[in-house]
Amino acid sequence: MSGALATSVERREGTLATSAERRWVALAGALTVVLLAATLEIVLDAAVGHSPLIPKSPSIAKWMSGVGERLGYRVFLIALLAYTGAFAGILLLARRLSVRWAIALVAALQLIVFVGPILISTDVFSYIAYARMGVEHGVNPYLHGPIAISADPVYRYVGKDWIKVATAYGPLYTLLSYPLAPLGVAGALWGMKLEALLASAGTLALTWRCARMRGLDPKLALLVVGVNPLWVIYGLGGAHNDLIMTLLLMGAVALTLSAERGSRNEIYAGAAVLGATLVKATGIVLLPFILLSRRRIAPLIGVAVAGVAFALIAYAVFGIHGVDIVSALNRDSAFVSSDAFPTEIAHLFGKPGVFPIDHDLLEAMLLLIVLHLLWRTWRGYDWVAASGWTLLAVVVASTWLLAWYTLWALPLAAISRDRRLLYATFAVQGLFIVHQLAPLLAPVS
Amino acid sequence: MSDPAATPAQGIWGRLPEWARPLNEERQGLGSRRLAETTILILIGVFLAVATVNDVVLQTHVNHRLSADLLTWRTLTGHDYINLDTEQDIKTHTTRDTVCGNVSPGAPGARAQLCLAMTGPVVSGMRTVSGGYYLSPYHPDLYANRYGCFGLPAQEGLCGRTSAPSGSPLDPPLPTGRP
Repeated sequence: MSGALATSVERREGTLATSAERRWVALAGALTVVLLAATLEIVLDAAVGHSPLIPKSPSIAKWMSGVGERLGYRVFLIALLAYTGAFAGILLLARRLSVRWAIALVAALQLIVFVGPILISTDVFSYIAYARMGVEHGVNPYLHGPIAISADPVYRYVGKDWIKVATAYGPLYTLLSYPLAPLGVAGALWGMKLEALLASAGTLALTWRCARMRGLDPKLALLVVGVNPLWVIYGLGGAHNDLIMTLLLMGAVALTLSAERGSRNEIYAGAAVLGATLVKATGIVLLPFILLSRRRIAPLIGVAVAGVAFALIAYAVFGIHGVDIVSALNRDSAFVSSDAFPTEIAHLFGKPGVFPIDHDLLEAMLLLIVLHLLWRTWRGYDWVAASGWTLLAVVVASTWLLAWYTLWALPLAAISRDRRLLYATFAVQGLFIVHQLAPLLAPVS
Repeated sequence: MSDPAATPAQGIWGRLPEWARPLNEERQGLGSRRLAETTILILIGVFLAVATVNDVVLQTHVNHRLSADLLTWRTLTGHDYINLDTEQDIKTHTTRDTVCGNVSPGAPGARAQLCLAMTGPVVSGMRTVSGGYYLSPYHPDLYANRYGCFGLPAQEGLCGRTSAPSGSPLDPPLPTGRP
């Protein structure tokens, strides 16, 4: 009798569990639909053509342009909010999703954005202009802005704020972009998009691998980065070279994590950090934390060997200006954007914006934070987390903040043992999105 | 028994005082430091959130004002153009805005421009026009290019030209005040 009752209870519990499981699957399915629909909405509307959010561009996605309407702030921001809400939901349900589902979702989102037009930013046209300056016109992109090639077909697409500005990107990235220059503007644009897609896929694969090596859930780490709205819509959508920097940073992390003491991987890790730095100078942040954590000279040997090799190549191709990353950093650190947190804080205190004294204060605060993190790493704190905190602090303290800068710390946050870094990164990204909402609350027409 | 994870690294670092030696992993029992760090992070987060929301509210007010500026320009001129240039007072940060648009149909800036200075609060979706000036086609809004000042810009001497350039239309002053 009691055996039959137990069987009945087990069956009932089994039915309830199945029913609950079905509900979770249905919810995950609904959230997946929202993510795909929001991405499609943005891409299809963007394919219609130039708008306040979509830069002028060669029509590389004309075949998609018959469905949507020109992308305005209202539709974009509603789609972005819906996407962000669904992203949060998917992360909460991550444990219940199958690995196949997670990978298929990430792949679908990346591919939808890849086949569409350039979103939000004109930066990719600056990348192409710098490449064409060097290859097609024999003009050094470290000495002149795109205005030096004003007759070139790419010039009309370069953002007007950047036409007189020489490149601030590292020589490795500039050299990577050179083979795309002879392909014409549309060909180079596809090349840049492909580079960004491959860099994104590579970063995701390395994030997965690092999460497994650290005993964390690789599926959650994959979703944190690969479905992230700022990664997909802004980073990949704009084909930003920040994704190439994160690829090299995650390469350095994977090599360091897998390196036995004395193995060559430590040297390669140092070289990978240098590679990231030669794409975007902020990549150097990882190096001191690797050195303090490993307390070995090998990564430094990698930096030195790769550094000498790259310095010679950069000097041969670009002259002394291609090697002088510091002056480019100094120039860019003086820029001010309305989305930057220091600007918002200045407004909070009734000031019109950031003054030079504020730059000094911010740099002093940043230095204190970095020193604290270096000391913590020396005393055993997770070096991956410390590197992520530093990149996040750089972003928060920077007077020049763009959406894709918030992606620097993201893969590190996804594999960090300190979950506070992940929450803080999400908080910074969330505040960035909130700051975009004014046109939705009060449209100007 | 000591925590093996927190064992200090040996070798040359063993000569350092205990508090300065490198560790392979953090010592257990640092809850109070973690709590302090978390508290500071939360406070920074709240501060940034307040600054962000404040900025969104400020921007919302500015957008509301700019919408009123555009409607006022269209109502006063009778031209329902979409492409109008708005410029805010970024020098002294008052709520005075300047809206410029073509005096006759054409591509943006391809005709002579009528620029109106808007001041005061938004009332019934409109603002007060306190004066204005004209610009020749394809000329930026600079002192040397302005002519036909009336109202506040005339009192402030914002026009660098005393008469309309040849080929530019006459410069009738428009009524100031709320349309």
